[in-house]
Amino acid sequence: MRKEDIKELPKVVLPDTIDITLAERHTAGNGVPVYALDCSKQEVLRFSFVFHAGTSWQKHPFCAAATANLLSAGSPSHSAHELAEALDFYGSWYDVSVDRDAAVISFCTLLKFLPQTLALAEEILLTPTFPEEEVEIYRTKRRQRLIVERSKPDFCVRELFARRLFGSEHPYGRGYAAEVYDGLTREQIVEFYQSNYTSEGTFVVASGNVGSEALSALLRIADGLPAPSVKPTRTIPSPQSEGSMHKHFEGTVQTSVRIGRLLFPRGHEDFIGMQVVATLLGGYFGSRLIQNLREEHGYTYGAYCGVVNFDEAGYLAISTEVGGEVAEDAVRQIMWEVERLRTEPVSDEELAIVKKIIFGEMMRILDGPFGIADVTIENIQNGVTNEYTARMVQEVKAITPERVLALAQRYLAPEDLITVTLGE
Amino acid sequence: MSNGLEVVVNRDQASKMAAVNLLYRVGSKHESPERTGFAHLFEHLMFRGTERVPDFDAPVQAACGENNAYTTADYTNFYITLPRENIATALYLEADRMTGLDISPEALTAEKSVVVEEFNQRYLNQPYGDQWMLLRGEAYQKSHYRWATIGLSPDHIRAASLDEVRAFYDRFYQPSNAILSLSADIPEDEMVAMAEEWFGDISSTPAPLFVPEAEPVQSAPRRLEVERAVPADQITIALRMEHRNSRCHYLCDLLTDLMAGGESARFYQRLVKEQQIFSSTNAYITGEVDGGLFIAIGQLNPGVTIEEAEAAVWRELLLFATEPVGEKELEKVRNKFEANILFGELNVMNKAMNLSYYAMLGDMDLLNGEVAIYNSITPEEIMDFAQKFFRRDQSTTLVIRSKQ
Repeated sequence: MRKEDIKELPKVVLPDTIDITLAERHTAGNGVPVYALDCSKQEVLRFSFVFHAGTSWQKHPFCAAATANLLSAGSPSHSAHELAEALDFYGSWYDVSVDRDAAVISFCTLLKFLPQTLALAEEILLTPTFPEEEVEIYRTKRRQRLIVERSKPDFCVRELFARRLFGSEHPYGRGYAAEVYDGLTREQIVEFYQSNYTSEGTFVVASGNVGSEALSALLRIADGLPAPSVKPTRTIPSPQSEGSMHKHFEGTVQTSVRIGRLLFPRGHEDFIGMQVVATLLGGYFGSRLIQNLREEHGYTYGAYCGVVNFDEAGYLAISTEVGGEVAEDAVRQIMWEVERLRTEPVSDEELAIVKKIIFGEMMRILDGPFGIADVTIENIQNGVTNEYTARMVQEVKAITPERVLALAQRYLAPEDLITVTLGE
Repeated sequence: MSNGLEVVVNRDQASKMAAVNLLYRVGSKHESPERTGFAHLFEHLMFRGTERVPDFDAPVQAACGENNAYTTADYTNFYITLPRENIATALYLEADRMTGLDISPEALTAEKSVVVEEFNQRYLNQPYGDQWMLLRGEAYQKSHYRWATIGLSPDHIRAASLDEVRAFYDRFYQPSNAILSLSADIPEDEMVAMAEEWFGDISSTPAPLFVPEAEPVQSAPRRLEVERAVPADQITIALRMEHRNSRCHYLCDLLTDLMAGGESARFYQRLVKEQQIFSSTNAYITGEVDGGLFIAIGQLNPGVTIEEAEAAVWRELLLFATEPVGEKELEKVRNKFEANILFGELNVMNKAMNLSYYAMLGDMDLLNGEVAIYNSITPEEIMDFAQKFFRRDQSTTLVIRSKQ
């Protein structure tokens, strides 16, 4: 049995500040900034190129993702197979991610294969040829994959929620039928590459064991990006929310629930405050939604709330999957929890926990060169330096129960919330 | 330690965080066939509080920590990461729930419905969601690996009683049945002393020795075909492997990488791109200690028949038995292993988990020794192995046809 004298929980020490490596800013000849985060002694390096080439920039359906994914589908000197072979051979981890605003092309490599990986990156980023047969294979594969994805309730509800929030025609909410892939052409892809993979708006982040060799090579590759002949443009109209709805989905045992509203774009003054509100409601295990829906009622395995920001808009979303027969009550419980945020000030104790959750999360993300790179990319997109992340701690600390109440009253009025459910 | 708890520590000077991992040698294979899913249900209950700490998560969160757990067929793993200064909080909490778990009937009822919803969300509310249950049930006959960790049916979870919960706790949640690992920038001897301080006084009743049910020798191919509301036909071919520490494990792992480790691998290049038989394919090993499954899986393109797809997969498998793998291709997957291991070590939690895992395997040298094992595998050995291993009469095939 346990020692009787050990009864008290050990005293907890709280971090006063969060340490984050500041990015060293260098500039290529054409003005493209290269940010270096020399933050690891281990023999690894990650570098990411961030382009204004997300889906809201595309003029043709599926074009943004196709361009990013087909960068490695061939160069003047190597086929898609040879490029894939080389990336795999050097153990490089190559990742393409496309969101609404940006395409992020990342390479991660052991230092001993750095020169080879840099040479590959140069080929992939600067001289892609987008061979016709690779475009054809991509079309077929993606069309089939989209059909598979659309048979999954969680994928469908995500699409549906975006559509109801932003409007079916809005670049942030729009979806296309799988057959629309048939209209995707090589010309569209080449055109998108030429307009959006340029020196305009692009930046590079290198993180890990960043030496001078890597830095000068990255500056040289960045400098190889041409200025656009025509500056790329996009039009983001005001979102036209289409309101709540239920969608019947055959064969489901659970109902997917999404509740939320449009919020503000990147860099808004209430962003940090709303992070706190969202975390309190559903941002951690022990949040109010988890306590209610999972721990008290056993309705669900998980429930979340988060704030998402894009360049030109943003939203707050609550999400959960619950048994079909309790879906109605689950929605009621969520609304009740939202109402509670708007009427009762949060206790100091609960708010203190939420703040610690946010600090802890930040410390975990920043524990390692890959996470530091992700945070740095987001900061640059938001127009701030990494000092912002360090300052954020002070700002989170300063938030009071009154502020939380005021934010909830301002942003979480029931009439502003859209509820989307999908199930039988 | 004298009560049988194994302690493994690692000083990580690159991190400001501490990771505390506690592995119990109990998984779904230790369950009775009438109460499958119990080990996983119990993992959930470990968060339901003790007399001293009624809410497990609150003190973790108060220490800026994060915690979670998972259950496999062989073991259950609990982990916490938090700022290094607060490591004692994690040790206190783990020691406390090793002895003082206090489950009320209400807590059990609520947790059972959470787990039933997890069952629904992961296994029933997804296309192909029940495939692993079907495959395990067919590939294994006697072994308790024949059911997935979630269990055979939600009814088994609903039937769990409070007495069974207590008996399970007393039987398996003992120091002698656990491995504690710590990774943080703290001197090793201090970490060992901390473990002694918090866990040293817990008495132990040795957990019973687990003897796996021997699988009968398979003499003919096994096959299961079902129809489901899925968007595309899917075929899975599985072969039973030997023990996790055997050479078979490394050979199979390497083979799956040659087959499906990246875009340049054989499956993607030949079956997806050239022959366009599958829209997606994969190959991997499940990794259970007493012998997991080698799996090759693919979703068919419209218009391709099951027979064509099946023949194409076997062609690829049997090619390993007739043609030696090229040196360059082999070097490619070796490089990949090396890179993955190094990338994995950037994370303090991964390190702590690995310490416990390799201790459970009973061979800590493997932790840093696996690269050498992969490097020692030659093209000849792969060919020899493929000739013995890729046999239809040893295979299980699961076909899920799309009901349109």
